[in-house]
Amino acid sequence: MQKETTLNTKKSSNSFLSKKVRDHLIAYSFIAPNFIGFAIFTLVPMVFAIILAFVKWDGANPMVYAGLDNFTRLIKDPTFHKALWNTVIYTIGVVPLTMACALALAILLNQKLIGRNFMRTAFFFPYVASLVAVAAVWNFIFSPTMGPINNILHNITGIPIEDLPRWAADKDWAMFTVVLFTVWKNMGYYMVIYLAGLQGVNPELYEAAELDGANAWKRFTNVTIPQLAPTTFFVLMILIINSFKVYDIFINLFAGADNQLNDSTRVLVYQIYNTAFRSLDYGYANAMAIVLFLIVLGITIIQFRGEKKYGQ
Amino acid sequence: MDMNLKKTVGVSLTAVLAVGLIAGCSNSNNGGSTSTPTATPKPAESTNATTAPEEKGNEPVTIKWALWDWEATAYYEPLIKAYTDANPHVTIEYIDLGSTDYMTMLSTQLSGGADLDVLTIKDIPGYANLVKQNHLEPLNGFISEKGVDTSAYGGTVEQIQVNDEVYALPFRSDFWVVFYNKDLFDNAGVPYPTNDMTLDQYEEIARKMTSGSGSEKVYGAHNHTWRSAVQLFGILDGQNTVVDGNYDFLKPTYERFLKMQDDGIIMDYATLKTSSTHYSGVFYNNSVAMMNMGSWFIATQIEKVKSGESQAVNWGIVKYPHPDGVEAGTTLGTITSLAVNKKSANKEAALDFMQFVTGPEGAEVIASTGTIPAIKNDEVLKSIAGIDGFPTDENSKEALNTFKTYLEMPMHDKSADIEVILNENHDNIMTKNTTIEKGLADMNERVALILNN
Amino acid sequence: MVGAKKKYHVAWMTLAYIALAAVAIVMIIPYIWMLSSSFKLNKDVFSFPMVWIPDSPRWENYLDIWTRIPLGKFIYNTAKLSIIVTILQLLTSSFAAYAFAKLRFRGKNTLFLAYIATIAIPWQAYMVPQFILMREFGLNNTHMAIILLQAFSAFGVFLMRQFYQSIPDELVEAARIDGLSEYGIWARLMLPLSKPALSTLTIFTFVSTWNDFLGPMIYLTKTELKTIQIGLRMFISQYSAEYGLIMAASVVSIIPVLIIFLALQKNFVQGVASSGIKG
Repeated sequence: MQKETTLNTKKSSNSFLSKKVRDHLIAYSFIAPNFIGFAIFTLVPMVFAIILAFVKWDGANPMVYAGLDNFTRLIKDPTFHKALWNTVIYTIGVVPLTMACALALAILLNQKLIGRNFMRTAFFFPYVASLVAVAAVWNFIFSPTMGPINNILHNITGIPIEDLPRWAADKDWAMFTVVLFTVWKNMGYYMVIYLAGLQGVNPELYEAAELDGANAWKRFTNVTIPQLAPTTFFVLMILIINSFKVYDIFINLFAGADNQLNDSTRVLVYQIYNTAFRSLDYGYANAMAIVLFLIVLGITIIQFRGEKKYGQ
Repeated sequence: MDMNLKKTVGVSLTAVLAVGLIAGCSNSNNGGSTSTPTATPKPAESTNATTAPEEKGNEPVTIKWALWDWEATAYYEPLIKAYTDANPHVTIEYIDLGSTDYMTMLSTQLSGGADLDVLTIKDIPGYANLVKQNHLEPLNGFISEKGVDTSAYGGTVEQIQVNDEVYALPFRSDFWVVFYNKDLFDNAGVPYPTNDMTLDQYEEIARKMTSGSGSEKVYGAHNHTWRSAVQLFGILDGQNTVVDGNYDFLKPTYERFLKMQDDGIIMDYATLKTSSTHYSGVFYNNSVAMMNMGSWFIATQIEKVKSGESQAVNWGIVKYPHPDGVEAGTTLGTITSLAVNKKSANKEAALDFMQFVTGPEGAEVIASTGTIPAIKNDEVLKSIAGIDGFPTDENSKEALNTFKTYLEMPMHDKSADIEVILNENHDNIMTKNTTIEKGLADMNERVALILNN
Repeated sequence: MVGAKKKYHVAWMTLAYIALAAVAIVMIIPYIWMLSSSFKLNKDVFSFPMVWIPDSPRWENYLDIWTRIPLGKFIYNTAKLSIIVTILQLLTSSFAAYAFAKLRFRGKNTLFLAYIATIAIPWQAYMVPQFILMREFGLNNTHMAIILLQAFSAFGVFLMRQFYQSIPDELVEAARIDGLSEYGIWARLMLPLSKPALSTLTIFTFVSTWNDFLGPMIYLTKTELKTIQIGLRMFISQYSAEYGLIMAASVVSIIPVLIIFLALQKNFVQGVASSGIKG
């Protein structure tokens, strides 16, 4: 039913502007409040930041035009490659796991269960709690020699404690630890989004499916999943973007007193931050930011096309 | 018609963006042009002040002082009070930027044009960066004009020169000593550490003092997770620095401390790092017999014994252990300094306050709070040793005298980048994520790249 | 047949309950640990072995946090910022999202893509240009700076647009035929139908402003303007970290957020969105 949108005819017919123009004006007027604020305070600095990628600047002295130098440097920079790789691995670990857990939780907690409110709050809690405190707790629990996790593992399996993984301090297990932490911390957030999305699913569709003889699983795949498509698109996009942009979680979990990450846990935004603020190389840092942006833009476009085909 | 509309909208949007861009661009290209106009009248004012040297300008002026840990630091308030009592027309407003990543925050604020006047300098790499960014007022002229005697600072001013120009003056100095728990030594029947220990002797004592297991365990020594707590034993013989580019000299040091870690003489680094264990806590709890740490801990320990939080009530300090053949009293040190924002609108007032804090009057105020000022003479040391709560034995008093202090991180153009590499490898080596050889090789390789760039 | 179905149902439900309860406990354990630590002396917080119930609970921690740092002021500041930003976000985002979801105009998809893509740029990349811009506007060290930074994000528009898409076009068409203006449709049709989405956005915006650290850190250097997260960091000084107090302050600062969540999540009740069709 893709009808041309018609204007309401109650208002006096304004023949100065055509209907199409008025339609556009109205549409823009809806967007304007948000967009203008966004444009001035966020978009302008962003554009400036993009320009920065083509200069050499230390934050204080005058800028020097550098053309594509920053980008050619990136191609040869092993630290950047490792940071990019770490970030990609992290994203691949976090995204499917979080989506699955969040969706499962949302469906379960959408039923009428006793203590449902309590459980929803319990699952949402890690997202809300202060990262500083929660990361300290997590690290403490996973402490290599004295934390409860390793002590329990030792008691169950008999492996001596020194040989158990050292979790956050272990270059082979660090990524695993942070993925686990992120899923734990954020699944409540995405659960909430899915919960809201589930409310938009018309229960009549379920009834119709049941009448057609579909079992729970079939109802899930044929009704719930398609109806949740816009929500899933959103969750997927935000998850990917947030994973690519991760910084605080890594710093709070891994960085010691010196606020540094070693190369098994170095992620892109950390590299950008360090390059800009510790090495005073704003141009190079922003070149990295642009690469990050382009990767995510690419994923967004692919997703977007997928959504248009799948939805509606 | 709608094509025109789209064009109009498009053009106006672009105009908005362009205006915003130009506003943003022109500002940063002029490097904070807004502060320059206000600064121009000031030189006229200061010329008035210098024509009548005895008369200080009496117009009320407010100076903004950038610092960290306002609440936890004992000397900020007394310093401000002492200065404003003598100069009532001056108001000092403090800006607490927090101690985590302080120097980065300071650099960001200055780059963004924040109107800070007096800047506290926390570490050398950050200082080097600020100098590179041209944020700091050069002080050579001021120093010779006011007749400041830089020899009072024990050679530290020369160590922070950049191209023969100095941009900050130290007001506080700290050096590393060994804290020890007398009760634990008494219980074990082991003689106290002395003011003249070699590294071997230090290790021996630590091994003797390690006992027990589980929650009753006493560790002979404690090395905090900072790289300086382990790595810098290697520079005490003066043969190498950490900015030379070759780090093979660190091998024996790392071997020694890794062995101590394996043998349970010191706590496991990985556990320390992940459990946020603070060095003060383990000392307060009587779980460690000796601890190498900086002199800043003296004031804290005194206070915590008084408040009851520290159960290590019988304690003392001795001089830092030294390699064979090196004079006792050779140790590591850090300085905290003050600098002035080059773009400060109240430069003269800021410089005057800086001179006060870094001079003998400021030193007196600082010493009265139990902190060691940069001007370290016998009187100052005596007054610190005389503070209520300072250990009363002769060795502790003697330990305050240092023979030679090496800066934890020497002044170097690329010290910030070098520090990053050193920290990383220290972490990897101590967590056993890499071997000593590989870690040192990585340091050699990457620092060479930086030095040659 | 009916009996078998019921048994299967009961079995399935019991299993679900047990699984959920187990996982919920795992979620909460760190909070219980935080609660327990908030009653300890700083040096005991991270001591091994773990002590769940301290022998002499230090109630003073809960008094100290108000006097050591101006926690009351920080809570007030954080609440003020969170509320203002949330309201602005809700209004402008749902407004803009309507256009993206239900109206047709040139450049819709490109603009929307651009909007989403900007979420991808990490804030660290444009932090300094933005800071300089704010200073140009004279907004340094004002709450206004934080409000303007946070209230107009693309995220809210994205979220609301996705939810609006699930509202059937037929409803909107019917309203148009009934003579409602687009603005009327937004106010009388879209808003009421999207309570779950609005609740979600409220929760998220509120929480993210409440927990925001980097923004206030850079823009609010005057103590009386600072927020809770900055306040928590003040317990981590150069030479020590008062974890007992950090835990106590964290426990206190979570309460308002949990209240908001509990209040709003009542809106996640099935049938709210579909009532329009039946009516």
